[in-house]
Amino acid sequence: MKNLFLKIVAVIGVTSLSVWFIPGVDDGVELIFQLIVLVASS
Amino acid sequence: MSLIRKIGVLLAWLSLIVGTAVVTAAVKQRSEDGPNRVFSGGPLISGELYQGSEPDWSFVDDIDTIELQLLNPAQSRRIWTASMDGKLYVWSGYMNSAVGKLWKSWPAQAEKDGRAVIRVAGVRYERQLTRIKKGEGLDPLTTLMQEKYGSRATPEAIDAGDLWMFVAGPRPVTETIK
Repeated sequence: MKNLFLKIVAVIGVTSLSVWFIPGVDDGVELIFQLIVLVASS
Repeated sequence: MSLIRKIGVLLAWLSLIVGTAVVTAAVKQRSEDGPNRVFSGGPLISGELYQGSEPDWSFVDDIDTIELQLLNPAQSRRIWTASMDGKLYVWSGYMNSAVGKLWKSWPAQAEKDGRAVIRVAGVRYERQLTRIKKGEGLDPLTTLMQEKYGSRATPEAIDAGDLWMFVAGPRPVTETIK
């Protein structure tokens, strides 16, 4: 259980840092979110 | 591990990654100079601050969206716009729906404190948002909104409070920003 918790924290940390610091990743996320909203609303 | 369980675990991890990425992107945008297409942004900083006589706002009818920032709170978002009789209008729909009440906070904030800055084509304009609660006389505007955006805007929707309409007029001189 502790192992799973650590894995979740690691995934959240790596994802957040990637979106924040790697140029262009946030734009990609914005595009994906736009598509999700578009599909959900259609 | 059964195949269905494996797929479930995979989807759970995928959801965690996408959810984290979306939240991070939204938080990051709050510190940027303006919004992007989806997420709210921080204060509008760049761009010349317009000084001069009140413009004829009919030129916004050829523009899809403008950036709107309230002074309180200092957050910006991208919104639809239209003009009528040379005046600038912005609005928010679905205000009586659960989604609208949950998602859209800026109209209530603007009603409380209408001081705003808009940015159009890189130029910032100081504005004062004033809510219009009666749709009477706004037929040409709602017709334009329908043509421009395929919106279901009507004067009746304004009367019913489903559509919150604001006229973005000039701000009193004493309240202008430096």
